[in-house]
Amino acid sequence: MAMPMDFKTYVDQACKAAEEFVNIYYETMDKRRRVLTRLYLDKATLIWNGNVVTGLEALANFFDTLPSSEFQVNMLDCQPVHEQATQAQTTVLVVTSGTVKFDGNRQRYFNQSFLLTAQSTPNNTVWKIASDCFRFQDWASS
Amino acid sequence: MHMTVWGNRKPLEREMQENTQDGTPGSWFRVTIPYGVKYDRTWLMNSIQRHCSVPFTPVDFHFVKNGARFFVQEASTASALMDVSYKICDEESRKVCIPVFVSPSAAPYSVRYKLKPEEMEQLKLTLIKRFNIYKQALDLQRLFVDPDLVGHNIDIILNQRSCMSATLQTIEKNFPELLSLNLSSNKLYQLDGLSDIIQMAPTVKILNLSKNKLTSVWELSKMQGLKLEELWLQGNPLCGTFPDQSTYVRAIRDRFPKLLRLDGQELPSPVTVDVDTPCVLNPCKGSYFGCDELKSLVLQFLQQYYSIHDCGDRQGLVGAYHEQACFSLTIPFHPEDPAPSSLCEYFKDSRNMKKLKDPHLRVQLLKHTKRDIVHTLCVPPKTQHDFGSFVVDMWSQTERMLCFSVNGVFKELEGSSQGCVRAFTRTFIATPAGYSSLFIVNDELFVWDVNPKKTQSAVSIPVPTPSTSSMPSFYWEQQQMVQAFSTQSGMNLQWSQKCLQDNK
Repeated sequence: MAMPMDFKTYVDQACKAAEEFVNIYYETMDKRRRVLTRLYLDKATLIWNGNVVTGLEALANFFDTLPSSEFQVNMLDCQPVHEQATQAQTTVLVVTSGTVKFDGNRQRYFNQSFLLTAQSTPNNTVWKIASDCFRFQDWASS
Repeated sequence: MHMTVWGNRKPLEREMQENTQDGTPGSWFRVTIPYGVKYDRTWLMNSIQRHCSVPFTPVDFHFVKNGARFFVQEASTASALMDVSYKICDEESRKVCIPVFVSPSAAPYSVRYKLKPEEMEQLKLTLIKRFNIYKQALDLQRLFVDPDLVGHNIDIILNQRSCMSATLQTIEKNFPELLSLNLSSNKLYQLDGLSDIIQMAPTVKILNLSKNKLTSVWELSKMQGLKLEELWLQGNPLCGTFPDQSTYVRAIRDRFPKLLRLDGQELPSPVTVDVDTPCVLNPCKGSYFGCDELKSLVLQFLQQYYSIHDCGDRQGLVGAYHEQACFSLTIPFHPEDPAPSSLCEYFKDSRNMKKLKDPHLRVQLLKHTKRDIVHTLCVPPKTQHDFGSFVVDMWSQTERMLCFSVNGVFKELEGSSQGCVRAFTRTFIATPAGYSSLFIVNDELFVWDVNPKKTQSAVSIPVPTPSTSSMPSFYWEQQQMVQAFSTQSGMNLQWSQKCLQDNK
């Protein structure tokens, strides 16, 4: 099944979105936590170490109770999601990994995956998180 | 001159002649700012003063529904204020201009029901009796039944604007350094009268409003700006409107950020929201699947996938991928890493965008089409995945897509890193294909080195492999047959396999 857009263009778009987004996300998480939910869709879901959080209100409460953080991203990869899976809603899979120190806790490795969907306005495209999966990674060597 | 008299287009002078309600000269005008509650009162009044050509004294400032309202005297003042309408711009949104509506009105409450001079004198004496100079504290509990006032036939009902206003005036004149004010048990239903407290008694840091009739926290907003350190509210109906103590505390603190004590209890020091939050993280839970049907579907998929992956011929995986699937692999980038890590087998295919900036390479390293993918997958050494270590998160699903991540470990069985244990996180996006099976459309793999100390007990349970020794490339389809048979017969996977074989 051929993609209407050139594959290279899809990949470039995905990479650009992923890089910009990841920078904004972790900066907001660390320094402007209160507005982090602006990066999520209304019905977005987060699975945080196996805990489910659904919807903006629950997300806002969750991020409010999460201690302050210092994230360091060491790995980043992304892929355009095949339209067979996305019902023609442009989606990018972004996967990150690195370390995080939550206030009062020791530094830990983490993995995080996002599904970003594009919300297009006449002037630009805004990417928002449709789903988010976060887990501490306890196997990695320090 | 453009008249913006609310609901009325008559010239002001004629209005004045018609307005003979109280018969007193120097008519009063009511000034209303719709949605005035949105703005900081001081900013609002200062802005109006700045734009108004005539200086004025606002009387009886209060909030009515969402609007702010006050009174002024003299038609000239009123006209000048009408001109201010739509001249002040909202602080936040430069395009929004604030309307100011002016209309003639009766004299405000505090003027109409003003205490007579002799009553004011008695009030002053009564208050002096209730004042503790050492604590700079004024106890006005149950003021309405004070024997002195009752004896002189003076009704000081603090809920009434005129009485509260008179009291505040007395405080302003006689107790300029007042620290503590007790208004407990005065049947206060609203705090409009206290909106002047910031001007009249700005030094107050301790306020007792307990045992009144306040029904909403919104009443406290009328006193916004007062730098309270201690507040008592218990015994008011509003206290029962909160689901729990912490919500109550937070609502009060929103209005009085410097508050140290509420209802006699010390509050944790008010710094920023972040400090208030506990340092305790939510406990980490195991795999999350969402529901049982999806759990079995995903576990079966993983079992099948890794069986093929581990038992030798990864070409069999080609049946698991969509024609146009994508795959990429990433290993960590440590700038401080001097020697090449033992993950060098994976290095050439690693697409860590933190390190890789070349857009051309970024496209190249994203494997596209199932042939390319399987070709890439066949390169790394033989592995043994530890199914028991798998933690799976099913984090997105629609009718057309399942998205899940697997975290676990595997051992390398050959090559230069033989015996090395790796940790991995693999994210699959799959679409349903035929009868209870999945096609992978996106596959993203992270691989790490594992801390040697953690490998003692790792890799103990290999993925259950079927007993057949030859692995044809249509193995995947065979597995699907096994699955179908298993579901129909109600047997588990391994037994189904055996049955099929026995019956060949």
